[in-house]
Amino acid sequence: MRALRYALDEALVSLGRAGRTALMATATIGVAFFVLGGFLLVLTNLQRVVEDWASSAELSIYLHDETDDEARDRMAERLAGDPAVAGVEFISKAQARGRFQRDFPELADVAEALEENPFPASFEVRLRDGGADDAGAIAAAMEGDPSVADVRYDRRWLSRLSALVAGVRVAGLAVALVLVLGAALTVMAVVRLSLQARRDEIDIMLLVGAPYAYLRGPFIVEGTLQGGLGATLALVVLWGGHMAAGAGLGLTWQALAGTGAIAFLSAWQALSLILAGLVVGALAGMVASRGAR
Amino acid sequence: MIETRGLSKTYGRGVYALRDLTLTIDKGEFVFLTGPSGAGKTTLLRLLLVQERPTEGEVTVGGRNLARLTAAEVQAYRRSVGFVFQDFKLVPRKTVFENVSFVMRVLGTPVEVQRRRTYQVLKQVGLQHRLQAYPAELSGGEQQRVAIARALANEPSLILADEPTGNLDPDLSVEIMTLFRDINASGTTVLVATHDRSLITLTGRRVVHLEHGQAGAPA
Ligand SMILES: Nc1ncnc2c1ncn2[C@@H]1O[C@H](COP(=O)(O)OP(=O)(O)OP(=O)(O)O)[C@@H](O)[C@H]1O
Ligand SMILES: [Mg+2]
Repeated sequence: MRALRYALDEALVSLGRAGRTALMATATIGVAFFVLGGFLLVLTNLQRVVEDWASSAELSIYLHDETDDEARDRMAERLAGDPAVAGVEFISKAQARGRFQRDFPELADVAEALEENPFPASFEVRLRDGGADDAGAIAAAMEGDPSVADVRYDRRWLSRLSALVAGVRVAGLAVALVLVLGAALTVMAVVRLSLQARRDEIDIMLLVGAPYAYLRGPFIVEGTLQGGLGATLALVVLWGGHMAAGAGLGLTWQALAGTGAIAFLSAWQALSLILAGLVVGALAGMVASRGAR
Repeated sequence: MIETRGLSKTYGRGVYALRDLTLTIDKGEFVFLTGPSGAGKTTLLRLLLVQERPTEGEVTVGGRNLARLTAAEVQAYRRSVGFVFQDFKLVPRKTVFENVSFVMRVLGTPVEVQRRRTYQVLKQVGLQHRLQAYPAELSGGEQQRVAIARALANEPSLILADEPTGNLDPDLSVEIMTLFRDINASGTTVLVATHDRSLITLTGRRVVHLEHGQAGAPA
């Protein structure tokens, strides 16, 4: 406790004296954590959208024209009984043509003129939230049914999107890690500088028998403060950026993604970032202050 | 208190600063260390403060073999030793008060006790009015007296002094020696390296004469 108090006092004095260099180190940590936090922010939101889309996925099951009513009813029952299914709607051939004519009025006459209705009847299946994973299973089962002509579902590109998000996450984390490492090295350099500036003083402290906690403590605290301050600064700037972006892009995003407003990092994520800043700073200080003997 | 056996210290190749020195200083003794320049006086004191390690032989202080102490033990040992070096070794960034009270602060001495004791030792060296001054604002002699006050502050069991009166006028030198004698009277072992024969004669204590790193008969 005594050593901690002493370390804190000394670190503050030292930081005050180091001034610009200490600010530089803090800013470097800040930039690194800004990038890290930014990636987290983007990823969290992308993830949410992908999940949202995945959970609202639909399945279209097209039927052969020869399918009789009995087979059709059996299939409807079977689909409705599946726990992953939220709702089933049957679209008859006539309804399918009507829908086409509604969507493409210019082509309505063409569709009418055709002797035979070319549009297949289909089931439109809505899946329950989180039921996206079952879509594949249902699709596979239905594809085996002789009355089924084709199954379409948007699962395939969703999983591709998921893979993309995962890739971005790995790349982002790698970049952020490199930046954090750079920031740690900067803090180490600054701590080492203030150590060198006080070399004579440390030698005297050694002679009067100062315990190592007193010798290294101030430098470890110095690093910790720089790390924590940098990470906090990054969060504040990120928050500001988030508010500005929310005002400018919020509506576009909502329309595009179909989800709520752009979310900020959760309290847990924000705290972890600050904690990571403190830890990185402390470690850098610890390594750099090994020279204090 | 202090025992050296076959103690040698060489710097570089073949230059003996101390050569096969065997010496015993009892607890509570007051000993002067004399000898010409380059005789190895400072070297012995540096070995006693574990600033250097012996090349050969061993030093024990209070039963502790100094060569066997861990880094943390060395620090604890140093806290029980007061030293006064030729170059004062005051922390320039700290005030006189902070310099003198540092070890007490580390040891967790209550603040009032730190204040009282610091004032007391500074008064003994006649500098109680400079508590808040920085070393750079003091004369050489004043800095030396602050270093002496620091050595006394923690009531160490051993005091090592290298030319502690080198920057002081004769009157002050006598006063400082009286101070060391008082401290010694209360049980602290004192080892003073000095050229000043008048002080030695005046104080009238045991003299160890070093020459070429070896103890000889006092001249
Ligand atoms: N760091 C060092 N490197 C090399 N040689 C050294 C070193 N320190 C001391 N010496 C040598 O060791 C010998 C003893 O030196 P020391 O400082 O112990 O003498 P001293 O008795 O204290 O002399 P003085 O009375 O001038 O202070 C000298 O010959 C000196 O040149
Ligand atoms: Mg000397």
